[in-house]
Amino acid sequence: MNRRALYAAAVAAAVLVVGAVLTPGLASWPGLRAVLVVASFTGFVAAGQMLVVLVGGIDLSIPWVLNAAAIVLTTTSLGASGRLPLALALAIGAGLAAGLVNGLGIAWLGVPAVVMTLGMNGVLQGLTLGLSQGLTCDDCGHYAPSPLRDLFAGTVPAALLVWLGVALLVTVLLRLTVFGRRVYATGVNPRAAFLSGVGVKGVTVALYTLSGGFAALAGIMLVGYGGQASLGLGDPYLFESIAAVVVGGVSILGGRGDYVGVVAGSLTLVAVTTVLRAQQVPEHGRLMIYGLVILAILFAYGRERAHD
Amino acid sequence: MRDLQERLGYLVLAATAVAYFAVYTTSLGRPPGSFDYLAILNTTMPLVLVAVGQSLVVITGGIDLSVGGVVSVCVAVTAATGGTPGWILAVLALGAAAGLVNGVIVAFGRIAPILTTLATLSIYTGAALWILPVPGGSILPGVRAVLSNPGVPTGLAWLALVVAGWWVLRRTRFGMRVYAVGSDETAARAVGVPVERVKAGVYALSGLCSALAGVFYVSTTTAGDANAGAPFILTSIASVVVGGVAFSGGRGSAMGAVAGAVALTLVIDVLFFAGIDPLYQSLFQGLFLVVAVLLGTAAALLARRRTA
Repeated sequence: MNRRALYAAAVAAAVLVVGAVLTPGLASWPGLRAVLVVASFTGFVAAGQMLVVLVGGIDLSIPWVLNAAAIVLTTTSLGASGRLPLALALAIGAGLAAGLVNGLGIAWLGVPAVVMTLGMNGVLQGLTLGLSQGLTCDDCGHYAPSPLRDLFAGTVPAALLVWLGVALLVTVLLRLTVFGRRVYATGVNPRAAFLSGVGVKGVTVALYTLSGGFAALAGIMLVGYGGQASLGLGDPYLFESIAAVVVGGVSILGGRGDYVGVVAGSLTLVAVTTVLRAQQVPEHGRLMIYGLVILAILFAYGRERAHD
Repeated sequence: MRDLQERLGYLVLAATAVAYFAVYTTSLGRPPGSFDYLAILNTTMPLVLVAVGQSLVVITGGIDLSVGGVVSVCVAVTAATGGTPGWILAVLALGAAAGLVNGVIVAFGRIAPILTTLATLSIYTGAALWILPVPGGSILPGVRAVLSNPGVPTGLAWLALVVAGWWVLRRTRFGMRVYAVGSDETAARAVGVPVERVKAGVYALSGLCSALAGVFYVSTTTAGDANAGAPFILTSIASVVVGGVAFSGGRGSAMGAVAGAVALTLVIDVLFFAGIDPLYQSLFQGLFLVVAVLLGTAAALLARRRTA
């Protein structure tokens, strides 16, 4: 594991300890559990964002991939538990498909990642709004099937186990498989990776596809948490996913970073917001402190190498 | 071929203008009149200004996500103080200072532009909410008559000023250095270009452009909103892209970005007069963005094949 991921873990621990001192509720399991659950949503989108950042890319289509998947889930499951497997498959499938198109556009057509994913975000926003008639369609008001909502019940919500599963999956994929080595090789130097036989284009397509899948997963989990889909559900996650990735010690230039760090980064961001809310800091104060915290962390371990 | 890509903005603008004229005339049975042109001019001015600033930053190989925050805070101050000439000058200084902070952090703090401006976006947006918690405020009618007069195309004079400003800047030593830093930072450093100061300068200029955009925004809408700036983040990036400015830096011009910004505004009108359901609007904007860039790439490829 790289050094920056350790720093990220230390920062998350420090923020949680300071938070627990300021807000005694945070020191209890229910308090910590609430932070963990909210952080898991950031963790899901950040998993995808991290994968594309590792090869020097970026995914700006996360907000509406997430939102589209959330609406696909409610409109296809219609609140019925029996239809949940189909709905899950369609929602995740939609996310993977959007990611696949992103990846193909970037790797094969040579469209810059910013343009391709920004365009995809617009396309999905238009499609989602248009097809659901601004979320006024007959099937749009359905609640999430109860098994999905039950993921958030209990002393140890199953949603946290899903996050643990994602963490294991991403870590194993990146650290213990040939594919993972290819990802880092591509991120460090795409040209060198290509010359040594790495299918750089294939790797890129796979990563954007996965990112779409993770954004869809976040959308599904958010519907389970909130009960219903809403418009703009994904908007906060565009910049939050990027922030979690870099606070987690992943280099924005690619080639360096671990998901453990991103988990810590997600926790840090959510814990900061939670503590500020608990301290009844008004929204403008929260925004400013949030930005200052990110800046401070960037200064601590997010700087680039000096020139010559 | 290189020229073709850099002229992408003008080609796209010409095509969009033709489409606008055709769609307007067929749907209303008469060609657009002076009132329509004036409305387009006044609504597009803020985006044009932000896009100019964004293009300067992108030409140096950076990106400025904080434009949303700077526009918001400048809108907030302008509206909250009633937009007297004295306060407008203060707002312009404020915008330039906010941009300079970005530039100093990017250049001397060696933090990636996307991350620096992500953090300051949050800080500036918070400041805007602090100054103007609820939408409102006002602007002096006299100022309004000079900036975005609803009866006289004063906006044209300001647009001409922007074009003239760029024309001069492009020919100054600073302007040359902006391109030098963007095309090859190491080489620029080697020949004695003060890379850090150039970078700090472009972010300050971007802040100044965003401040001007904020003032124009209040002038056109006659009130302020602390969230007014948020849409400009992605639209300014889209303008720059459509305008043929390359994200790799060193290529393109602010005039291309101006053309891109006007084209993006016109597209909304084209969709409206073509009778497209507004809910699908972002779908077409997203496609427009990707297709414009793909056409640019394809044209460049074809030209290269022919010369090879």
